Amino acid sequence: MANYFNTLPLREQLEQLGKCRFMDMSEFADGVEALKGKKMVVIGCGAQGLNQGLNLRDSGLDVSYALRPEAIAQKRQSWKNATENGFTVGTYEDLIPTADVVLNLTPDKQHTAVVNAVMPLMKEGACLSYSHGFNIVEEGMKIREDLTVIMVAPKCPGSEVRAEYVRGFGVPTLIAVHEDNDPKGEGLALAKAYAVGTGGHKAGVLMSSFIAEVKSDLMGEQTILCGMLQTGSILCFDKMVEEGIDPGYASKLIQYGWETVTEALKYGGVTNMLDRLSNPAKIKAFDLAEELKQIMRPLYNKHQDDIMSGHFSKTMMEDWANDDKNLLQWRADTAETNFEKTPAGDVEISEQEYFDKGILMVAMVKAGVELAFETMTAAGIIAESAYYESLHETPLIANTIARKKLYEMNATISDTAEYGCYLYNHACVPLLADFMKGIKSDVIGKGLTVEDNGVDNARLIEVNTALRSHPVEAVGAVLRGHMADMKKIV
Amino acid sequence: MGSIRLDNILFNKVTVNFDDRFTLSEINWTIDPGQHWVITGTNGAGKSALAAVLAGVGEIESGTITGLPQNVGLVSFEAQAELIAKELKKDDADIMDVISLGTPVHEMIFDNCQDPELAHALVEKFGLNQLLDRAFRKLSTGETRKVMLIRALSSKPDLLIFDEPFDGLDANTLIMLQEHLASIVDTIPMVMVLNRFDEMPTFITHVAYVDKGELALTVDKKDKSAFNELYQLLHLKTTDLQVPEADPANTLPALDPNQPLVRLNQATIKYGDTVIVDKLDWTIERGQHWQLSGPNGSGKTGALSLITGDHPQCYTNDIFVFGFQRGNGESIWQIKQFIGYVSTALQWEYRVSTSCKNVIISGFYDSIGMYSKSTDNQKKIADQWLALLGMEDRADQPFNKLSYGDQRLLLIARAMVKHPPLLILDEPCLGLDDMNRQLVLALIEKICEGKETTVLYVNHHAEDQIKGIENYLGLKKNS
Ligand SMILES: NC(=O)c1ccc[n+]([C@@H]2O[C@H](COP(=O)([O-])OP(=O)(O)OC[C@H]3O[C@@H](n4cnc5c(N)ncnc54)[C@H](OP(=O)(O)O)[C@@H]3O)[C@@H](O)[C@H]2O)c1
Ligand SMILES: [Mg+2]
Repeated sequence: MANYFNTLPLREQLEQLGKCRFMDMSEFADGVEALKGKKMVVIGCGAQGLNQGLNLRDSGLDVSYALRPEAIAQKRQSWKNATENGFTVGTYEDLIPTADVVLNLTPDKQHTAVVNAVMPLMKEGACLSYSHGFNIVEEGMKIREDLTVIMVAPKCPGSEVRAEYVRGFGVPTLIAVHEDNDPKGEGLALAKAYAVGTGGHKAGVLMSSFIAEVKSDLMGEQTILCGMLQTGSILCFDKMVEEGIDPGYASKLIQYGWETVTEALKYGGVTNMLDRLSNPAKIKAFDLAEELKQIMRPLYNKHQDDIMSGHFSKTMMEDWANDDKNLLQWRADTAETNFEKTPAGDVEISEQEYFDKGILMVAMVKAGVELAFETMTAAGIIAESAYYESLHETPLIANTIARKKLYEMNATISDTAEYGCYLYNHACVPLLADFMKGIKSDVIGKGLTVEDNGVDNARLIEVNTALRSHPVEAVGAVLRGHMADMKKIV
Repeated sequence: MGSIRLDNILFNKVTVNFDDRFTLSEINWTIDPGQHWVITGTNGAGKSALAAVLAGVGEIESGTITGLPQNVGLVSFEAQAELIAKELKKDDADIMDVISLGTPVHEMIFDNCQDPELAHALVEKFGLNQLLDRAFRKLSTGETRKVMLIRALSSKPDLLIFDEPFDGLDANTLIMLQEHLASIVDTIPMVMVLNRFDEMPTFITHVAYVDKGELALTVDKKDKSAFNELYQLLHLKTTDLQVPEADPANTLPALDPNQPLVRLNQATIKYGDTVIVDKLDWTIERGQHWQLSGPNGSGKTGALSLITGDHPQCYTNDIFVFGFQRGNGESIWQIKQFIGYVSTALQWEYRVSTSCKNVIISGFYDSIGMYSKSTDNQKKIADQWLALLGMEDRADQPFNKLSYGDQRLLLIARAMVKHPPLLILDEPCLGLDDMNRQLVLALIEKICEGKETTVLYVNHHAEDQIKGIENYLGLKKNS
């Protein structure tokens, strides 16, 4: 199988990458009609499989689960998930031939094997859906010509997909139709109905392409979302300890700091996050972020280039073939970092203190979000898509660190994201070594002292203008507006 | 001026009978020196009775009262009526065919007066000068009341008891009286019965709330939040506000009147070998209010979640709700539109920082938080609910900044805002203090007065009953 993207001529590559349109609510007026009475069979009952299935069933659709035989025989968690929630569970042979829509919600790494196993069992003219396009785009999986292939990708972890639905809302969702596999022209109608069934239409749907989804998703997750937070955690912790700050305090400031500062990001973008700082601290954070952006830009470019060329997926798949040797080694190394090994201290840190003492963390988030966004859009990815894959998801990943540090983050994200995150981290830590030498506890751990309180008006105006005029802020304001009253979940 | 002569007045489990017409039961109450109390409650709750006990009225059946002073000044409608009746009797007793003039006002005030100097001053202040020679029984109600007040105030009392002292007084007298009371706060303890909080003098230190013949609550005025809650409770209990109308734009599909609202047939929830709900048969007809009770772990919430569609195993059971046999392509939103729901769990899940008004409006959408634009009419109805709850001033405040009890009240309003055919109250008082329990129960009783909603009330104490509920289902703990 060849990398699908690389088989396309440049003109079409650019067209596919640039495909992204924010859909209007009125386009979902038909609700779940296109899927009513159809048999939806989900393969895999993990984070996405279970939660999407619960939503689809509660929307009045017919959902059952096809699991691999060993999962059924051993009554694994996936089997328990499905049966305890009252779903019909069967083998591929039992269920796939009856399915009108097969939802492939197994781990991306398994897609080739899974799709090869189920495709021959699928009935003529049925639909195969994905929640991530890696298999089609990077692995070049060829799907039988009579089958419709669509993607419905919630831009949130599975638990959020369910929690938001139960509240009467949904999570932002990206949908796409694989143009090579839309024989009856019904792909879009099915994808829209599916998005409605999961509640996604209420939070905003992007009509995109498999290619744009994959290239932007990979870029976001390995740079700002996971990579930057991991690198930042390790560097900031070691610096604070070096500066004589209590390790328990340092550990807590980082573990919960990402979540706290990115909460401000979620509600009002980078501008709001920096507005939480005092004026002198804001200028400091701005300057640090500028410096970071300059140092890290080549790295972001390299990640995007490797993703576009297929080099990234090629090396990762080689590691899959090699029993995940690198991945497992890097995972073990992460567990040994000082940050990971130092438990958060039993100290009170107020919400504002996370900002005041975490100026460098704020700067890192700003630099990472803007760089990822700028790099993606420069590569032809549309701003809306770049926003979801950078700024929008940052707080969601930060929440996982608050739960159980880097271990939890890497356990929650996909293997693909984890692999990319380690790649980034290995390059970024040495890249920032010199920069970190100049860092003192005033920007991480202790905060600015009172003497630093003066600011130059002209400089402040300059900084405020620059913050507000970054393109990620404009698109963010519009997309957050679509999420209506969705207010702070405490 | 001297200092307060009073010791503690101590009520210890006191039950008092009033001519077999009314009973105050098991009153425990302490009035310490330096305190000034207001007794409040709804009409007929027993607040005047409690005040009267302090003046020695009523027959004590059990319990003890210690520290009651000898010399109590009492002003109340009952005492006023009694005095007038006595005067009229004197009249009747006259066998001679002579027109009796009755006792003149100056005699009423100055005979047996302990403090004539004060009495004179008050006569002046209250504008009774012209009336001193008039017969007491010829006075207007307001004038008699003034005489009563002067008699009580100038009796050098150890304790003053006023039952609605400000009722029927003209504005000028009111000011004079309040001024005088303010001047004696350091010397004479006072207890007054008041219906309206806004009439409460500033020197009052404590409030006693009487409900159904019991002393339900006592509040130290310094405890601002408790005090506000009490205010809200009285507002709910005493105002004649109606439950706001439904929104005509929010029409539900018609239900077949011959079908029950809910029918569970052998309903079962289990995880592996653990059985949560065991073969439950339950039919809820329209208009049949139910109480569901049982110990923790008896599956009350589980059974409810089969009805609401929140439990995933509702798809593997034989469940008929609001015209839908579950598992035939209906969505949960089609089910939820018929249900109003309140529980502690809902309150925990309602962690959205939206405004109080939006919380109520979200009931139209069965959502937690607001994700659609609300209509003007929905906003208007939400305002009416806020007024009913006495929370108009909090309309735009963030929900998550409210007290726990206020949040619960708002969630009940949210559940009721669309006038659902079925209202499920899953332990609505759980986790609430006494005051908030009273508030919530008052609101529920108000709601139960309406006809179109069938109420399903869940409580683990079977004895905690609500007026109007006649069907009971008790669940046992599953082993
Ligand atoms: N997690 C996210 O935040 C997220 C967000 C958007 C999209 N997605 C996409 O959603 C898809 C599913 O991801 P996930 O995070 O839900 O995965 P997951 O939680 O790891 O669940 C995968 C499920 O597939 C089953 N499975 C694993 N290997 C299999 C095989 N060889 N054959 C058949 N079944 C297999 C597993 O069950 P058994 O091992 O018991 O068989 C498990 O139930 C991926 O394409 C992912 O990119 C994920
Ligand atoms: Mg319960």
